[in-house]
Amino acid sequence: MRNVITIARKELQSYFASPIAYVVIGFFALLFGYFFASLIYWFEQQSLQMTPGSGPPLNINQALIGPVFMNVSVIVLFVMPMITMRTYAEEKRSGTMELLLTSPLTDVQIILGKFLGALGLYAVMLAVTLIHVGVLFLYGNPEWKPVATVYLGLLLMGACFISAGLFISSLTKNQIVAGMVTFAVFLLLWVINWLGQSFGPTGQAVISHLSITEHLDDFARGIIDTKHVIYYLSFIVFGLFLTAKSVDSERWRG
Amino acid sequence: MIEVQHLSKRYGPFTAVDDVSFSVGAGEILGFLGPNGAGKTTTMRIITGYMPASEGTVTVAGHDVFSDAIEAKKRTGYLPETPPLYPDMSVRDYVTFVARIKGVPSREVRGRVDDVMKKTHIADMASRHCGKLSKGYKQRVGLAQALIHNPDVLVLDEPTAGLDPKQIIEARQLITELGGNHTVVLSTHILPEVSQTCNRVVIIARGKVVAVDTPDNLTARLRGSETMYLQVSAPGADVTQALAAIAGITRVKAEAGGNGLVSIEVDCEQGRDVRRELAATVVHQGWGLLELRPMRMSLEDIFLSLTTEDAGSAPADAAPAATEAASA
Repeated sequence: MRNVITIARKELQSYFASPIAYVVIGFFALLFGYFFASLIYWFEQQSLQMTPGSGPPLNINQALIGPVFMNVSVIVLFVMPMITMRTYAEEKRSGTMELLLTSPLTDVQIILGKFLGALGLYAVMLAVTLIHVGVLFLYGNPEWKPVATVYLGLLLMGACFISAGLFISSLTKNQIVAGMVTFAVFLLLWVINWLGQSFGPTGQAVISHLSITEHLDDFARGIIDTKHVIYYLSFIVFGLFLTAKSVDSERWRG
Repeated sequence: MIEVQHLSKRYGPFTAVDDVSFSVGAGEILGFLGPNGAGKTTTMRIITGYMPASEGTVTVAGHDVFSDAIEAKKRTGYLPETPPLYPDMSVRDYVTFVARIKGVPSREVRGRVDDVMKKTHIADMASRHCGKLSKGYKQRVGLAQALIHNPDVLVLDEPTAGLDPKQIIEARQLITELGGNHTVVLSTHILPEVSQTCNRVVIIARGKVVAVDTPDNLTARLRGSETMYLQVSAPGADVTQALAAIAGITRVKAEAGGNGLVSIEVDCEQGRDVRRELAATVVHQGWGLLELRPMRMSLEDIFLSLTTEDAGSAPADAAPAATEAASA
């Protein structure tokens, strides 16, 4: 465990020692701010147009917070490859992989360390959005439970992206290749259900279950469904398992 | 301390290391010599547990590097050809990180880091980023990294490559100091380095061990006879005949240059010093003796003869100087 933490700390440290962390977090904050502001504006317009007494008032959780965080999942889709593409590719290119693999560490410790390091950066990135949510709590009265579940969902979704990104990065020495492949895979996982209808009802059910963002909907509504939690957890474990196999096979091939 | 037995490594159809066996005793400095692509780095990577062997076993301090990898790795320090540095980390952070992953107990980390940085003379660069260091400093940080957990075995892949002459001397001194306390395996293709620092040499070519011996023995073994080189000023004289008459001389090869200068190579029986007789004869003949020195077969010649095509044949045949001489 000590080794895992040491690696995770090193990963986080290297994100923050290079411009990566600041650029990623900064531009994420910019995009998020823009989405947030435009949805607030839309929400405000809608509220003003409603005549009092004609129905229940707009629910701030459903009409604002939910959509805002669905937008976050799109930004994460673009940002995540930039966080994960270097994890293994860079170590292999610069030769530091030799240091890690000749140290008394197991592959699993290295992988978990890298996973937690990237997850840490992602968590810091998400933490930026707490400011905006804080503003909502200051001037409105949203419920906190659906907000908590949406953060949980986003963390799980991000962890899936990270485990897939780690695997892809472990396949190549080239960061750009890793980044591009990761992005393509993420995008496909996101839109995979578009084609679902053409595979008949069973096919559609299977395919929409594979879509990584589909599972986020319920979290945004404040529902923690074990189905989705299990989907995310098994996705994460599978990604980490593939990474372990890839690192091991690289060792044998030399 | 290190036992390498019947080690082979194949990459698909290509055999990088072919049935290599040798052992290194505790405190010994072993030089690993061979041309580029001979399999030095592959062998070292297997010893350090970076990659598994196709066949054969390696044990470090009694621990198999494959089945007991963690224990073996705890006892091994490794400096790869390019020092494995994180360019964005400061030297101190980097060495501290390595100390932690190498299993140095938490409360000893600080002390070890200070010690090692002092030992490798990098303390003045502690807060500099690794990526901004000069090649010499990078190499030293690499060495610090390999030493941090005070390993029994140090594996250094071309530790002096890319250093300036002064740094090379310092690095060799440091390595010589390390021998005794640590078992050192170092690879190089710089030959004087081997004779200066190593107790024993393993010469490897095309994946096979072609010789294991001390640098001195190797030199002696490959010399079938002693050769002297003379330069005399003897216009118009028959140098060959006069010198061949000396007892113990087996062959004289003279080559006339301009101005009556003659360059001569003289082979004599092994273990027989004919320098006095040679000098006396030259003086007696009234020639001018300009130069007289023994021609040793340098480690370079041995290396070349062992690693070129007919490396498998007997050492005497393999020495080009000797074969040339016999036919002249």
